[in-house]
Amino acid sequence: MGDLFRQYWMPALHAEELPENDCAPVRVKILSERLIAFRDSQGRYGLMDEFCAHRGVSLWFGRNEESGLRCAYHGWKYDVTGQCVEVPSEPETGNFCANVKLRAYPLVKIGDILWTYMGAPQTRPPLPEFEFVQVPAEQTYTSKRWQECNWLQALEGGIDSSHVTFLHSGQLNSDPLFKGSKGNQYNAGDLKPFFEVADTDGGLFVGARRNAEEGKYYWRITPWVMPSFTMVPPRGDHPVHGHIWVPIDDENCWVYTFDYHPARALTGPERQAMMDGYGVHSENIPGTYRPLANKDNDYLMDRDAQRRNEHFSGIKGIAMQDASLQESMGPIVDRTKERLVATDSGIIKARQKLRKAAIALAEEGATPPGVDPAHHRVRSVAIVLPKEDSFMESTADAAKVKPGVPQTSV
Amino acid sequence: MAATAAEARFRIDAPIAPSRASRVVALDQDAATVVRRVATQPWASARFFVYDDSPGSANGHGGSADSLKLRTMDGSVVMLGETLAGVDVAVMVAADDAGAVAAQSIGAACTARGIMTAGLVLSDGDHVGRALSALRPHARVLLVPAEPDDLVQLLTALRA
Repeated sequence: MGDLFRQYWMPALHAEELPENDCAPVRVKILSERLIAFRDSQGRYGLMDEFCAHRGVSLWFGRNEESGLRCAYHGWKYDVTGQCVEVPSEPETGNFCANVKLRAYPLVKIGDILWTYMGAPQTRPPLPEFEFVQVPAEQTYTSKRWQECNWLQALEGGIDSSHVTFLHSGQLNSDPLFKGSKGNQYNAGDLKPFFEVADTDGGLFVGARRNAEEGKYYWRITPWVMPSFTMVPPRGDHPVHGHIWVPIDDENCWVYTFDYHPARALTGPERQAMMDGYGVHSENIPGTYRPLANKDNDYLMDRDAQRRNEHFSGIKGIAMQDASLQESMGPIVDRTKERLVATDSGIIKARQKLRKAAIALAEEGATPPGVDPAHHRVRSVAIVLPKEDSFMESTADAAKVKPGVPQTSV
Repeated sequence: MAATAAEARFRIDAPIAPSRASRVVALDQDAATVVRRVATQPWASARFFVYDDSPGSANGHGGSADSLKLRTMDGSVVMLGETLAGVDVAVMVAADDAGAVAAQSIGAACTARGIMTAGLVLSDGDHVGRALSALRPHARVLLVPAEPDDLVQLLTALRA
């Protein structure tokens, strides 16, 4: 699966982590590799092996100055490509350092995210084109949090629409980024949705339908773009949100969570609510990306709020309601003990697609779904349709990105 | 809590309860080809059927839902109602809308018994819309367009 992830551009850091030229370097772990990220004197971004080629010292202690990162131990200096450009102990006229290069990956800022590609240079795809990083800065917001479990069990929550009716039921009418939409009433009025899982070139569209007015269904369409991008169907004119999960190692992942509006700037209260951890964002321990509610404090469980149905699970906030349960499964859930049901078909299909793509890559070198930027140009949809209509046909346009055009929402 | 790898190892390691009783019904000839192939694999308790829509049979037209005639993999004729005792999930497989009447009967019989229904639409062409329309009212979960392997994966996940 690691080889599969190396076919894609992935978020490596939030852009705020390297806020200015020559700022402090940042340790990064992705796909079980320890890396160091830095922004040099010219504003170029670098992502490379964390450890100095000389004695294996962490370059986190290094000095980011004069267009390179200098090891604090003996002064070896590297540029953003990982090329060693100076070895002070060697003769100035020598070319020793020309043969010293750390493994490095491209690091590119698009939107609020620094993206990397960790695969072979010859298969490097075009840059990502997800709408949330393409809209103007005032229309988008991205947060980041550490989740202490395997990325896949976290992702599976993103395409499992049936849990919303229960786990998040307390939030639909109270969270400032959810409340007030007509769709919330449909959600509350039909607790047994029907599902359609539609295969697409880039992944899946998972449609959940509930009864609406006579002769009509309320549909919520969740796109999944391989390997780990999902969007939540919108509610009213609230910003649209979603996630990208990035493996740190087998037992941890980064979650990049975004909210954007395709047609207008986020309001001050909306942006503040996102920063405060409402909607699908989390409130983090200041200066870190670890959620304030985490497994070491039982996620600040509030049994009284649970009894009041303020929070169905007793945990505050949609993001941590999901994360707490997904982490409770263990770092890698033992799927041999699962009892899946037919309504888990989205999860079943997603696993099948990931497995097939990994095998096709290994055996035939096939480019997996989701690499092509055309696959990124999708939207989630919430819509009321006549009962006889197919959601895939009726929402074909609404589920595509149209710059500047508002999302289709109820 | 089980949030560490060390603690996760202490989860009770008891055998999982018996598999879900599953019934798979092919609603047309293309679907029957797929279902017959899948039926040859070793399954715990899944049973496989084909809706018999031969010309002049009038199967499913006018009778009760339970009286819908299905053929087993060895060609025997059984009534739908006989096959649903103790069943947890019924999976309908269609490539077009030839089995719309059967889907309606299966949906009604399953609703009456509280049996979960799922549908797989095999077609990826002109017939997909018709097959979807036939299945949508009666399947709580639909996979579209589905590959033959989706049926295997679904039944495997259900421990059928």
